Amino acid sequence: MTDVSIQVTDLTLRFPVYGVDAKSLKKNLARVTVGGRLGASQTGATEVTALSHLNLNLRAGDRLGLIGHNGSGKTTLLRTLSGAYEPDEGQIEVRGRIAALLDLSLGLDPSATGVDNIRLRGRIAGMSSREIEEKMDEIAEFSGLGPFLAMPMKTYSAGMQARLAFAVATAVEADVLLMDEWISVGDADFQKLAHRRLLNLVERAGILVLSSHDAGLLRLYCNKVMRLDGGVASEVKDIRRLDELLAAA
Amino acid sequence: MESGQHMLRTGRRGTSFEFRMALNDLAASFHRRGLAWSLAWHDVVSRYRGSILGPFWITISMGLMVLGIGLLYGKLFGISVAEFMPHVAMGIVFFGLMSGTINEGCETFVHAASMLSQTALPMFTFVWRTVLRNLINLAHHAVIIVGVIVVFGLWREMSLLPAIGGLLLTVVNLAWISMLVAIASARFRDIPQFVMSVMQFAIFMTPVFWIADAFPDRHAFLTLNPFYHMLTTIRAPLLGQEADGLSYVILAIMAVLGWALTFSVFAITRRRIVHFL
Repeated sequence: MTDVSIQVTDLTLRFPVYGVDAKSLKKNLARVTVGGRLGASQTGATEVTALSHLNLNLRAGDRLGLIGHNGSGKTTLLRTLSGAYEPDEGQIEVRGRIAALLDLSLGLDPSATGVDNIRLRGRIAGMSSREIEEKMDEIAEFSGLGPFLAMPMKTYSAGMQARLAFAVATAVEADVLLMDEWISVGDADFQKLAHRRLLNLVERAGILVLSSHDAGLLRLYCNKVMRLDGGVASEVKDIRRLDELLAAA
Repeated sequence: MESGQHMLRTGRRGTSFEFRMALNDLAASFHRRGLAWSLAWHDVVSRYRGSILGPFWITISMGLMVLGIGLLYGKLFGISVAEFMPHVAMGIVFFGLMSGTINEGCETFVHAASMLSQTALPMFTFVWRTVLRNLINLAHHAVIIVGVIVVFGLWREMSLLPAIGGLLLTVVNLAWISMLVAIASARFRDIPQFVMSVMQFAIFMTPVFWIADAFPDRHAFLTLNPFYHMLTTIRAPLLGQEADGLSYVILAIMAVLGWALTFSVFAITRRRIVHFL
């Protein structure tokens, strides 16, 4: 557990934006006849720099809160930490089992039953079939859905779907937990349960990275905070200086 | 290196490095082969959820087609049903595997967009998912094959081993074609339409509904058609005939060259694919 770490060095990530037109083959073929005249834009893609020269070092016990306006790169950073994107420059090294809880509905199939969805989501999260069967009872119980687990997920209310998704997503054993703001799901009862489960998970995990707009939430879960502005990161500061960072806008 | 305990992503470039990362992806997909299987199985189950016969509906519609075409064309061409029916049955079933794997390949990455953009799952996993899904479907349609083998007494003269060899070669080839169109379709949205047209054209150019006897051996129409080689290496041995050795050779060469091409394309585009989606 002690060698859990996140090491990000000089990370730059650019998104090539392929316009709807640029996806058509005709445009690309047509360009061939024009030859090299288009110069720099020959790749056909405009690039948006989503993260720029970002450095970050986290060790076991660090709970980092990410703040910043919409589009400042918080989710992109989380996704990059999960391993989905390849950096254009720099490097990311993560030691420990990663659990990215970015999208609750990831890999869930509305027409499948609750139990099937637990299995499917568990497999995607990297659990073996046996691990899932071992945890099935615990997940089922926590979701509180009882007999509904045998019914297709599309028959659930939004709150019930969230309960199921939350129960599966948080069943993973993780050293590094990446979360996008989605903490509050379900009714008041469930929120209390969810809160306790999250705290438990966060305590077991070595590192937490949480993106949120909710200052109260950040104070509750995090001990460090970083602000992103247009893909440029501030220094990592102690959570007690959150107001300072928030005001820096 | 990609053990689930340690993840490294770098902006480092260079051809050899890109190839090594592509190999890592391939290795990781084998390491987690159970996932590809689970996803493929789930696809089949969820597509036919609520229906009693499930994938056998396709089997039934294929069976009807086999029956209709077998009887009608047999009459039109003046070929005996015993000769023509097994030929058409195997043609339709195995061509279904080919067109299914290739057509659905177009959606391999496009459908997996949300998973690819927020997890570190290997990209090859989704290629295997498409291939496995089509093999599961084939296993259902095998009922038809077994049917004609029993009804027309083909088991007396068929040779199973060369047919299995042909099937293996075919699947290895289908896999690279499927992956290549998956990458191309992610980038260019015209590709799926194009692929569909080609496969539609191919079904008529390949001796699925007709018998190749009308051509002299190794006619260019047949030799240049990769689907002919795939089909004949599986079908001929099952019909108690012998497939031309040349077909096996061509398939083997195609597999090697095709995978070299596809793997190179993958190595070069790998870091971009997620942005295409």
